[in-house]
Amino acid sequence: MSSMLRLIQNENMKIYRKGTNRIMLLMLVGLILAAGLILKLNTPSPKPHVNDSWKQALIKENKNLEKEIKKVPKESQSYLKKEIAINQYRIDHHLPPVNGLHIWKFVDLMTNLVMVIAIFTIILAGGSIASEFNSGTIKLLLIRPVSRTAVLFSKYIAALLYAVLMLVVLFIVSWLVGGILFGFNGLTQPYLQYHNGHVTETNMVLYIFKEYGLNGVQLLMYVTLAAMISSVFRNSALAIGLSIFLLMVGPTAVQFLSKYDWVKYVLFANTNLTQYITGTPVVSDMTLGFSIAVLAVYYAAFVLIGWLFFTKRDITA
Amino acid sequence: MEKPAITLENVKKVIGGKTIIHGLTFGIYPGEVFGFLGPNGAGKTTTIRMIVGLMSMTEGNIYIQGHSIKKDFKKAIKNIGAIVENPEMYKFLTGYQNLLHYSRMAGGVSRERISEVIELVGLKDRIHEKVKTYSLGMRQRLGLAQALLHSPSVLILDEPTNGLDPAGIREIRHYIRRLAEKESLAIIVSSHLLSEMELMCDRIGIIQKGQLIDVQTVNDFVQDEKQMSVAFTVDDIDKAVRVAAEQCHFKIVKTKSDGIELQLEKEQIPIVAETLMKNKIKLYGIESTAKTLEDKFLEITGGKEIV
Repeated sequence: MSSMLRLIQNENMKIYRKGTNRIMLLMLVGLILAAGLILKLNTPSPKPHVNDSWKQALIKENKNLEKEIKKVPKESQSYLKKEIAINQYRIDHHLPPVNGLHIWKFVDLMTNLVMVIAIFTIILAGGSIASEFNSGTIKLLLIRPVSRTAVLFSKYIAALLYAVLMLVVLFIVSWLVGGILFGFNGLTQPYLQYHNGHVTETNMVLYIFKEYGLNGVQLLMYVTLAAMISSVFRNSALAIGLSIFLLMVGPTAVQFLSKYDWVKYVLFANTNLTQYITGTPVVSDMTLGFSIAVLAVYYAAFVLIGWLFFTKRDITA
Repeated sequence: MEKPAITLENVKKVIGGKTIIHGLTFGIYPGEVFGFLGPNGAGKTTTIRMIVGLMSMTEGNIYIQGHSIKKDFKKAIKNIGAIVENPEMYKFLTGYQNLLHYSRMAGGVSRERISEVIELVGLKDRIHEKVKTYSLGMRQRLGLAQALLHSPSVLILDEPTNGLDPAGIREIRHYIRRLAEKESLAIIVSSHLLSEMELMCDRIGIIQKGQLIDVQTVNDFVQDEKQMSVAFTVDDIDKAVRVAAEQCHFKIVKTKSDGIELQLEKEQIPIVAETLMKNKIKLYGIESTAKTLEDKFLEITGGKEIV
């Protein structure tokens, strides 16, 4: 066990001593700051509510929405229904909406950056295996009293630790930036969740963590895919390029092909688990359990293939 | 003799239906420097890669201090320190961080041992600089340092003097000899620099087309024949040729612009000199040219495909 810790320590040293990996962390912080500033400059500062004027506003808005709902096609109706239900809930429970952005809304918006973290981690994971082959250092790495499996595992764990670090940085920095730019007074806002026509109040922190968790599953899948490609082709440019290409094109391609039933077995139809919470699934009969099962099968395949190629093949680099 | 530190038993390697290594069998003993000599593509590097477990064997087995590299990798590899081809280190880390990295993988390497090895290879002044600023010679030293870090009993060095200046080459050579003699390491050195091998090795194995065609001690290698070539510098070459052929019955190897070269034994040199002088041929110089490893190597490999 301690030997595994030492291997991970080694991998961490290689990760954090490499300029590019530190720059990626800075870029993430930079992106959050830039997004915060742009949003701050483009949204008018919120006006405080006068008495119950917000209730009238919401009632008016709901009337408009109900008119609109009759015009739009069936697929778009669910979103409008959700809006109406939430507005109604606010009116009934005396919960005035915060005008403009508030701290949690910003943190919630910034969860989109988990995809950026996924790309950064792909770059790291794809590079950490293949670059050992590209640079020839793999030869000195594998002539130690350590199994190849342990070496591969330590690299994988170190890459995931890097992703976790980035997620923590994302949460803390976006919370701070959101608070400083939009005020900390939105902290008490609950999250209104809409599910099957019912609106429920949940804790914001819980909701954000759920978002992180579900996006984290997606990140895990892509990083594992990148690690596998890296192990199979032993080429960092190919591993990084192919993984990012799949991450960009996969989900779109799946949307295009969503009329076919077999699409539900494709990796990219299942990676985005938030589809079960916020949107509608790619293929209508898909469930969260189904997606988790499909992802588990893909995950096992990636790990097995990556491991076989790393441990069984001759080192000719 | 003691037990060999490394034993190769009928090691074969087939890649894509093509046999690269045809059953190598040999052993290397503690305190011995074994030269692995052969033209490029003969299978030197493939053999070294199989010894350190980077490549699998199709057939046969390799034992390091009695442990099979196939079955008991960790126990076997513990005894090996190696540089395979170029000493490729992490360029974005300092020399020290590189050594720290490998020491963590070996286990039981103290900080004192790291300092000791740094001192040994003479990198003390630059060890905290990034490897990308190192010259090839310094990288070679750092490569040697990482190979010695865990005090192995077997050292495998692929082209250890590559990229070193003459002073560096001499230093490494002395160092290798010292490790073998004082610390009884079994050392495998591969090179295509034949003159290097001659000065460094105790035994030399010649590999060609994946087959070990000859293993001999360096001394045998060079002195296995009593006959040597002797060059006589004379004024009248034609006359000297005639005299040597008629009166001494020696085979003339070749005539040179300033004399003749004969193939003979040591005791015959004064006889030839006397005969030449008796025939009024002016003799300016006698020079025996001992057969070098290079001549021998060319002879054995048929002079083909030598780099």
